[in-house]
Amino acid sequence: MSLNPKDIEIATRAADHFTRIYYTAYDSDTRLADLPQFYRQTSSLTWNGKPFQGVDGLKELVARMPPTQHEVQSFDCHPIPGAQPPSLLITVSGNVTHGKGPSGNPPDTPVRSIEGHPRVFAQTFILVPDPLAPPTKPGEVAKYYVGADALRFVG
Amino acid sequence: MSVFSSPAPAPGSKAIAANALRSAGLIDRDAPMRDISDSNPGGRKGRHSIRLSTSTHAGPSDPLAIRGAARPSITGRIRRNAISNSTPGSSGIPVRVSTKPKAVDAWREFVNKRYNPETKYLNLDSMIDDEMVKKYNLTPPGHGGTARDAAVIFKLASQLKPEVQSLSLANNNLTGVLLTQLPRYLPKIVNLSLHNNKIRDKKEIHMIVPRKDKMIHLRELVLTGNPIREQSYKNGIGEVYRADIIRRFSSLEVLDQQPIAQISFDAPQSSSSNMPVEKPNATTFPFDMNPSFVTGVVPFLLTTSLSSSFFNAFDSQREALIHAYHPSATFSFSANTSIPARARLVGFHSSRDMPNQRKLDWRIWLDSGSRNLNRIGTDPKKIKEDLHVGNEKIVKALKGLPGTRHEIGGPAERFSIDAFPVPHGQTTGLLVILHGQFTEAATGGVRSFDRTFILLPAEEGSASKLNGWDIVIISDQWIIRSYSSHEAWKPGPLLVQAVSPASSGVGSSLQQQQLQASIPPLQPDQQAMLASLPEPQRNLVVEVIKQTNLNVKFAIDCLTGNGWDLGRAVANFNEVKVCWQGLFYLQSFVLTIPFCF
Repeated sequence: MSLNPKDIEIATRAADHFTRIYYTAYDSDTRLADLPQFYRQTSSLTWNGKPFQGVDGLKELVARMPPTQHEVQSFDCHPIPGAQPPSLLITVSGNVTHGKGPSGNPPDTPVRSIEGHPRVFAQTFILVPDPLAPPTKPGEVAKYYVGADALRFVG
Repeated sequence: MSVFSSPAPAPGSKAIAANALRSAGLIDRDAPMRDISDSNPGGRKGRHSIRLSTSTHAGPSDPLAIRGAARPSITGRIRRNAISNSTPGSSGIPVRVSTKPKAVDAWREFVNKRYNPETKYLNLDSMIDDEMVKKYNLTPPGHGGTARDAAVIFKLASQLKPEVQSLSLANNNLTGVLLTQLPRYLPKIVNLSLHNNKIRDKKEIHMIVPRKDKMIHLRELVLTGNPIREQSYKNGIGEVYRADIIRRFSSLEVLDQQPIAQISFDAPQSSSSNMPVEKPNATTFPFDMNPSFVTGVVPFLLTTSLSSSFFNAFDSQREALIHAYHPSATFSFSANTSIPARARLVGFHSSRDMPNQRKLDWRIWLDSGSRNLNRIGTDPKKIKEDLHVGNEKIVKALKGLPGTRHEIGGPAERFSIDAFPVPHGQTTGLLVILHGQFTEAATGGVRSFDRTFILLPAEEGSASKLNGWDIVIISDQWIIRSYSSHEAWKPGPLLVQAVSPASSGVGSSLQQQQLQASIPPLQPDQQAMLASLPEPQRNLVVEVIKQTNLNVKFAIDCLTGNGWDLGRAVANFNEVKVCWQGLFYLQSFVLTIPFCF
C-alpha cells in the first residue's frame, strides 16, 4: 500500500486532463449528451447536499440546470493509496456563473446585490478504474469514471 | 482511440508518406480547384475573407510586413514578378492589386489539394517540393515564408470540411515562431506530426502552446527529427524531454509513436456531441440548497464520545495527529488566491467587523508548499515535494504550516458537511467533505476552507488502533481560499438572476417548490423495506428521512433506538451531526459501514 512517483505523475496529468474536459462538457450546449459519459450506474453524487444516484441521477440533476460557465482556479489530486491502479481523489475550487450572469439581472437590481454574480464552488471527485472497460488505447493504464462527486456552492 | 487503430492515418513518416500519395491521388481526381472558381478575382472578397493575412495586407509600418518584404514572402515574390520596382506602400498603380489575393487563392488550392476529407487528414509535408508551390512561386513558411504566411495556411485549413483531425507538417524546416497561430486556427486537432523540422527547445514549444488549455484534444504528437528531441536523446536526457512534453499536453496519448502510460476517460466523443440534445436553457435552479448531507453512518449507535477531536489537535498540537493518519496516507493543501466575486461585493475585505482581513497575505501559504496544480502543474519537482505521503511526513508538513483556529464548536451554521460511503478496494471508506472557516493565528484574519478526507477503519493491532484511533485518514486535501460567508450554503432556494423588487410572483413559486420537496427517490430494496412497515411506523420513517436525509434502514434504526419517538430521533440525529463537525467523533461510525452494505 504505497505510492510510487510514477503513480503521482500519471495521477497529476489525469487530473489536469479530466478537469479540462469535464468542465468543458458541463458548460457546453451538449452537456446532456456529454456529461453522463463520465459516470456509471454505481456513481454517487451530491449537489449542494442533495443526493443523486448513477447516470440517471446525474441526468436528473443537470437536465434542468441553467447554463453554466466554470472557471477552475485551483485543483489538486492524489492517487488514493490502497489499490492498483489507484483511484484518484480530486478537489477543485473555482467560480461558476449561472444563466446570464450579472448582465441578466433586471435593470432595477441594486448595485450591491450579489445575485447573478459568480459563485465559488468546491467539488470533490473520486475517479475509479472501470474493471469492465478494457484498455483500448496504447499506453492506457485503465479507463476511469466518476465514482463519487460532491459539489457545494461555498461563496 | 489511437490513430493506430482508427481510420485516420498515423502521422509517422511512413504512414504520412503513404497518405501523401493517396491523398494527392484522390484530390487530383475529385477535387478540382473549386475554390479558385468560387473566389472573386477582383480581390476585395479575397482580402476580406482572410483577415489575418499575408504581409502585403499589413501597412508598411508593420514590422512583419517589412520582414516579409526583406525576405521574399509569397506575395512579395509574386509582386516583384508582377510589377517590377514596386515596393510595399509605394504603389499608386491600381491595376496590379489583383496579384495579392492570388497568393491566398493559390494557397487555398494547395490546401484543398492536400486534404483528404475521408480520413480528415491534411498532409502539408515538404511544401517546398510541391509542384503547385513551384508553379505559383509560393514561399512556404520555413523556406522564406513568415508566421503570417503560416497563419494564412492554418486559417485556410480551418475552413476545410469536414474539420481537420490529423495534420502533418513534416519536412518543412519549421521553427516554433512559425507555428504560433496553429492552436488558434486548429484548436481541435487530434494528431499532429512535426517530424523533421527545426524546433529546438521547450521555449519554442511554449510559443506554440503558451497555456495548457490550448490543444486539449491532441492525442498524438510527432517531434522526431527535431533538435529538441534528437539533442535530448543524444545527451542521454531523452526521458526528461519526454516527461516535459507529456506534462505540457495533458491529453496526449502517443508521443513520437511511443504510447504514454495514462489514465483515460469516456470523454465526450465528437459523434456524441453531434447528437441533437436539448441545450441548457433553464432560468431557475431545479433544486434548493440543502443542509449537510450525511449518510452511510449510524450516528445513534454512537455511545462513546471520544475525547480527541481532530481539529482541536490540528489547532493546538499537530504532532498529536501522527496516528490519525494511515502510514501510507496522503496530504496536501492548495491555496486558491482568487478574490470571490460575491465576497468582494459584500466588502468583507474592508469590513469594520473584520479588521484583520487586511493583514492577510497569501505569501505564507504559497511559500509553505501550496499544491495548486493549476499553478505548479508543469513543475515535476513541486508536484512530488508538495504531496506528503506517510503519517510521519504529513505531521512534519502540518507542523510547518501557519497556525489556525477552526472554532469547530462555534456556530454550527458556519460549517457544512457532506459525507457518504465510497468503495475502497475490497472494503468501504467514508468520503467526508467539510466546508467552513478558520482564523489565522498570526494575523487574526479569517479564511474559508474546503477539506476532503477519505476515512477507513483502523486495522486491528495497527499503531492507530493502539493509540486510540478507530478510524484513520487515508487521504486529506485542504483548499484554503479567501473568506466567503457561510450564507452561501444556507438552506433554501437558489437564484440564477436577481429578482426584480417589482415582481413578486417568483418568490412565492420558489416557496411552493420548497414545500413540495419530499423524500428523495428510493431504491427498490429500500422501497420494499419501507412497504413492509405498518402504516404509523412508515409515516414516522418517511418523516425522519425528510428531516435527516438518512436512508430507510438507518431511519428505522434511528427510530428504534429512540423508542419510535419522532422528536427524540431527529434531535438525536442532529445532536450527533453537530458532533460530526468535530469529525473524529465519527470514529466508531465507520466501523459499522462494512456491515451496512
